[in-house]
Amino acid sequence: MLIKLSGGRVYDPAHQIDGKVLDIYIRDGRIVSRPRDDETIDQTYNLSGKVVMAGAIDMHTHIGGGKVNIARMMLPEDHRADPSHHSALCRSGCGHAAPSTFTTGYRYAEMGYTAAFEPALSPVNARQSHLEMGDTPIIDKGGYAMIGSDDFFLRMLAAKKDQNAINDYVAWIMHASQAIGIKVVNPGGINAFKFNQRALDLDEQNVHYQVTPREVLKALSRAVHELGVPHPLHVHGNNLGVPGNMETTLKTMGASEGYPLHLTHIQFHSYGTEGDRKFSSGAAAIAEALNKNKNISADVGQILFNQTVTASGDNMRQFANSTLGSPRKSVIMDIECDSGCGVVPFKYKDQNFVNALQWAIGLEIFLLTDDPWRIFLTTDHPNGAPFTSYPHLIKLLMDRTFRNEMFAKLNLDAQAMSTLASIDREYSLYDIAIMTRAGAAKLVGLHDRGHLGVGAGADITVYTDNADREKMFAKPDYVFKDGELVVKDGHVVKVTWGHTHTVKPDFDKAIEKDIKQYFDKYHTMNMENFKVSNDEIAEGGRGGIAVQACEGRREKSL
Amino acid sequence: MSALTFSLKQELIQKLDVSPITPDKLSDKNIGEISATLLWYGKQQLRADNFFLISGLDTQNIVFDNCSAKVDYIGNGMKTGRIIVNGNAGAFLAFQLQKGEVTLNGNAADFAACAMAGGLLLVNGNVGDYLGGALVGDRKGMRGGTVIVKGNAGERTGDQMRRGLILIEGNVGSYCGSRMLAGTIGVLGDVDDYIGYGMKRGTLLLTKTPKLHATIQDCGTHTLPFLSLMFKSFRNLPSKFSKINQNRVQRFAGDVGNDGKGEILVLQ
Repeated sequence: MLIKLSGGRVYDPAHQIDGKVLDIYIRDGRIVSRPRDDETIDQTYNLSGKVVMAGAIDMHTHIGGGKVNIARMMLPEDHRADPSHHSALCRSGCGHAAPSTFTTGYRYAEMGYTAAFEPALSPVNARQSHLEMGDTPIIDKGGYAMIGSDDFFLRMLAAKKDQNAINDYVAWIMHASQAIGIKVVNPGGINAFKFNQRALDLDEQNVHYQVTPREVLKALSRAVHELGVPHPLHVHGNNLGVPGNMETTLKTMGASEGYPLHLTHIQFHSYGTEGDRKFSSGAAAIAEALNKNKNISADVGQILFNQTVTASGDNMRQFANSTLGSPRKSVIMDIECDSGCGVVPFKYKDQNFVNALQWAIGLEIFLLTDDPWRIFLTTDHPNGAPFTSYPHLIKLLMDRTFRNEMFAKLNLDAQAMSTLASIDREYSLYDIAIMTRAGAAKLVGLHDRGHLGVGAGADITVYTDNADREKMFAKPDYVFKDGELVVKDGHVVKVTWGHTHTVKPDFDKAIEKDIKQYFDKYHTMNMENFKVSNDEIAEGGRGGIAVQACEGRREKSL
Repeated sequence: MSALTFSLKQELIQKLDVSPITPDKLSDKNIGEISATLLWYGKQQLRADNFFLISGLDTQNIVFDNCSAKVDYIGNGMKTGRIIVNGNAGAFLAFQLQKGEVTLNGNAADFAACAMAGGLLLVNGNVGDYLGGALVGDRKGMRGGTVIVKGNAGERTGDQMRRGLILIEGNVGSYCGSRMLAGTIGVLGDVDDYIGYGMKRGTLLLTKTPKLHATIQDCGTHTLPFLSLMFKSFRNLPSKFSKINQNRVQRFAGDVGNDGKGEILVLQ
């Protein structure tokens, strides 16, 4: 089957194509070069005047795993208030802040997204996460294995084990949990919480293991780099949400000593302590540091005003925030003595000083960071806002007038503390295509996604250009997933199953001897049961594993 | 003006959700629009006149005739008017009732008066489990209003109840007043095991000493003047409780396992 997408205006930053009118040809789910004249084209879509981009990629969104399920169970009101009925094609579902798995897949696809990555896949809970993602249709998915507070790793670090051994353990974890990256949440802090520490700064020791978050970051960022994993260490830093945490964040950027780091939901880590209320924007300093340190990338974790729920592995910070939740309930728990979890519902309000300033800080970081290849568009779904608000966020970035109108409605004290109104920058379609496509694919290490070059997977989104960017990005005309038309005029027309992207770095299998001993002595399950196999993911014909090559990583900057 | 009457035409196979049929939701509609109201029947949405013979004009007085236990959500979120049900009612009778009156001449299934906030529910028959309870997943049950049951009630009556009054003339199943947060439940008949299980605050008024579990403590016999005031407020209610005038009770406190500020008062 040969499909021609004719005459669309193409934005493909991976190939420096900025709004050029081009034809794209698709055969068997891949983009191919222009066929010979005697080949028959089976189907042509006339896209003249339309905007064509690769399918969007959400590189940080909580769509699977224990904490999302807890959020679902904890918020029956969220589910009752937002039902989606079944149709001839789609299954029913519900939920605004924490939608059910099927609804998640449909809603992503209907917004033109074709891949989404779960950033806190706890290895001990990996099977649950993959099962949930296995129930998420259409989009590709993958996860970052969350380590750094697990006892086996902290024991290695405390015993000053050789870096090679740590590399082997990290690689083993990636294989066992079918991950594409490594995430560290509040480095060492989840564990320190269990030894009754209620805060942990970058150079503060875990009282039990006597290791600092800095050592955790250094060991893991180096391991990820040396294994050749394309996605840099994904860091949810210490002191999330604490006024003055920008200092920690700036120090964290240096903690990897030049190895690449990705600082996630950096908005929550960019707070100063100036002003009468001792809460201010650290966006300028953070953005400047991002501009300077080429080995650092970040996603924003923008908040938007509405009811949502925060779900995180960071039990230490979630415990501290649990009294601020609305409605007032929370779950803070341990996961199999190996990890943590905290779920707190939140309602962000534009008349609340802190929330209004958080909103402004997020946008300031977006607009003050120069390189769109190193800053990514996220709301840390569902922590800042549900992913369905991305079109609104894109409008805020692309339309200065709209942004200033929204800003003028905020809490007045917060307005006085922000420089947002003086920033003139507007993102272009090309910038948006970098942030949500080419840049994200490069960051995650998806070599055949996020671009429209020959050989790429035919994940393509077609929009009608509209000055109202929210309308434009909310409802694409066509979405192709692996060459199949899955969405037309913003509605699902075909349900397919995406791949689960992973990397499989080489490592010395001898490490399994130590790990097995540890499992036999301490763990809640057998080591062999801990591993998620390829077959389990492919079971039931719902997609399968796609192994991305361990190459194309960013160079270490020293 | 005659009451707007919905007479069930045939036996139902699936559950029928009649939440759109309340006086406030139908107040400005004509008979054609009322007949065309879409109701969920199993997984399909069908017009109301598929199920009911509809007659009468007064949308403030609605009558369900020949009603069955498959008819759920009668009086859902109602804010004004009156509903009379002849026959049985399904689950979630008077769900989130805010104001007005619902009278049932028959038996109700589970979750009657669930999350009710105000108004009056009168049941001339029995009710199932979770009378005055919370919607599944919620942490607060009935928030106000009065429920009078002439017959018996099932298990978990007043589960997580927050405020309001439930008066039952017959017997009540086990776990009466479980996890109760506040409010009053009166029972003239017998109660089964585990009364006041996990009760935090609130008052259970009984006429016979029940079997109590270990975390309910006897506090002795008292004369409580507030009971006279409370019974005085019952004078106009269509219930046997309106005849009681007594303030000497044996008092039990509990559940000590959960704050223990609830009380079980047994009339002497």
